[in-house]
Amino acid sequence: MAGLATYLPAYLIFALLLFSFGLIAALARRSAIGIFMGVELMLNGAALNFVAFQALRKGVIANDSWLHGHIFSLFIIVLAAIEAAVALAIVLRVFGSRQTIDADRADQLRG
Amino acid sequence: MLVNLALAIVLLPLSAYFILTVVGDRLPRQGDWLSTGAIFGSFLCALRIFGEMWSSFDPAWVVQKTWAWMDLSTLNVPWKLEMGVRLDNISATMLLMVTLCATLIHLFSTGYMRDHHGKPEDGYRYTSFFSYLSLFTAAMLGLVISDNFFSLFMCWEVMGLCSYLLIGFYRHKPSAANASLKAFMTTRVGDLGLFLGLLAMFAILKSFRFDDVYAGINSGAFSTETIVGVSAAFFIGLGIFIGTVGKSAQFPLQIWLPDAMEGPTPVSALIHAATMVSAGIYLIIRIFPMLEYGGVLPIVAYVGGFTCFFAAILAIKQNDIKKVLAYSTLSQLGYMVLALGVGAYSVGFFHLITHAVFKACLFMASGAVIYAMHHEQDMRHMGGLKKKLPITFACMLITTLAISGVPGFSGFASKDLILGNVMGYAHLHPQHYLLVFFGFATAAMTAFYMFRLIFMTFWGEPHDHHHYDEAHEVSWNMWLPLAILASLSFCVVYTGSITGLGFDKIFGSANEWILKLNPAPMVEGAEGSRLALEEAAHHAHVPTMILSIILAGAGILFSYLVYGSKKISAAKLESLWPRFVQRAIDNLYYFDAFYIKVLIKKIFLPFSDKNAKFDDAVIDRVMVDGWKDATMVGQKASGIFDDMVIDGVMVDGAGGAFPTAIGSSLRHLQNGKVQRYLMVAVVALMLLFLFRGVV
Repeated sequence: MAGLATYLPAYLIFALLLFSFGLIAALARRSAIGIFMGVELMLNGAALNFVAFQALRKGVIANDSWLHGHIFSLFIIVLAAIEAAVALAIVLRVFGSRQTIDADRADQLRG
Repeated sequence: MLVNLALAIVLLPLSAYFILTVVGDRLPRQGDWLSTGAIFGSFLCALRIFGEMWSSFDPAWVVQKTWAWMDLSTLNVPWKLEMGVRLDNISATMLLMVTLCATLIHLFSTGYMRDHHGKPEDGYRYTSFFSYLSLFTAAMLGLVISDNFFSLFMCWEVMGLCSYLLIGFYRHKPSAANASLKAFMTTRVGDLGLFLGLLAMFAILKSFRFDDVYAGINSGAFSTETIVGVSAAFFIGLGIFIGTVGKSAQFPLQIWLPDAMEGPTPVSALIHAATMVSAGIYLIIRIFPMLEYGGVLPIVAYVGGFTCFFAAILAIKQNDIKKVLAYSTLSQLGYMVLALGVGAYSVGFFHLITHAVFKACLFMASGAVIYAMHHEQDMRHMGGLKKKLPITFACMLITTLAISGVPGFSGFASKDLILGNVMGYAHLHPQHYLLVFFGFATAAMTAFYMFRLIFMTFWGEPHDHHHYDEAHEVSWNMWLPLAILASLSFCVVYTGSITGLGFDKIFGSANEWILKLNPAPMVEGAEGSRLALEEAAHHAHVPTMILSIILAGAGILFSYLVYGSKKISAAKLESLWPRFVQRAIDNLYYFDAFYIKVLIKKIFLPFSDKNAKFDDAVIDRVMVDGWKDATMVGQKASGIFDDMVIDGVMVDGAGGAFPTAIGSSLRHLQNGKVQRYLMVAVVALMLLFLFRGVV
């Protein structure tokens, strides 16, 4: 476990890549599903950070009872699951009402 | 080293899946070579592992490595999930069998699915087919190398998903779409049992590893606890067995497997003969000590006995060539479950391997016939094909002899051992003589319906001249897999004896190597009953062998008289069955009707209706609307205040032209495009980070 400190940058870079790809997808995709998938990727990138730092801490401090990193990543997983349900429901309703899931077309709230 | 090889076995098809999913369409030949090559690489690795296992020839041979996957242990509370690889004789043999069958089935698919070649834009899904096959194989291999029930369960579920995708591959056909849903939902019922069993196991043991579970059984960890009034060992064993019942399509969850024949034929060979249904049997093999210890084995035996007998009856009346094979798969799986249920551990495993080989060949041969006949599946329209398809006919004949239990072929050795053990078991426990009847009756019926298939398809006069004239032998990539598998359906491969009768052993110590290498994991207090069974099976062996040869011969002869030489009229024979039996068989014993009309329409749907009504009446009307009414009163009061004080005095007083001007200029920011908002937020956040030293 102690060796993980050496690999930490690799985990962080991977998490960063995940987050950035997710962000790019969320900003650039036109379909709502694509945006939604991007958001999922961003959540996973963030969760990976939590886990990596938790593992680092565990390797450094013996018999540590600190679990916040794991718990947070579990919260993120649950959150992502719930988000998936809600987002898919919204997408379905949007598709039902206007036969498209293009995010730019759902702009009835414009000023 | 071996552990890395085992991981490579899984990762090769898995990476093929990812590559095919992403860029498969753009590869030459749409990537079928990649998928096939990856699984062939796995096969070579499996061969290496098998060689290592074989050269030590030791029943206790095991290589394993375990690592922590999720370690949430604190100072006082250990809580962690582990992942690991376990290679022992069983998994090495399984790996070889699965990779061999999968490689050949991939090769066969390159021929069989050729009509689906084309661009995905035009609705062709050649690449998806191969990527699903790869994912499926990777999951099966991952299941086999697992050293714990947790990763086994994960792979198990991936296989469930892949079977859904592959059964419903012809998704424009409503029957295929329904069949895939049915398979998925039915196995889900079994998976629930498996999941409960695993949860209970983890709650008690805090570990999923096979070794820990076996040690836990021997230390009595499962006998002190009780769950819902039964011993924990019984609860866990039964739950996990229900998982098998779903996956291996045993009574009463057998309904999905025959419908699953809607998938392409290579899929039937891969999922419904060689691998996925075997996964259920493999699970019983892994949890066997728990079943033995918890006293679940008699239930297992009867489920297997029922399935093998009643499925064989159904197979007799099918006219669709694949349906015959589907029911024979059910029946043979029933044999395996029966063997494990009477305690014949290595024998059940033996039949699993021999059956996988010959059934994969049978399915692919039927696929070759269907392909040659331009997707005609009804045997009544076939006939006389042995001149047109000589290689397919030869392979199918060999494997049919194997499944029928004719001496000299693999099925004879394994089935004979199962019957011997069942007979021995019945000697020890005379109240279970029904199992012997199931076993022997099925042996005769198997020979009968399999030769019915051969005679109807390959013998006699062609019934459909249009298709018959166009039929021709399939290309090399379709007949080569058949030939390889058929050559592995001879007894000598498994027992070192040419006829399988035991007097002509040629490999000396290596004969019946599967039995020698795979003794059941030890359970304390079970030695006595195991030895007794071995002894009884040994005594019952010779009469069983004679009887099973006679029954198989009678089945084949009878089949020849009815469908070969047509001395006996099939229609007349059919009218001999009592009407109610015929009707029951035509309706598949009313299982589907029962599930849909009673379980779903009478119990589940009314229950959900009640739930919905409760939701509507109580949650919605009383609680939500009631809260609304309660708050309305407060709202009224604050409304009046709002109107008089806030609105009248403050807004109208202080507000006016100024807010209106700001509003009309800012409203253009609210353009309703979510991505623009997100971009603004991201840029703002970046600026914040950039200038956080300054501000």
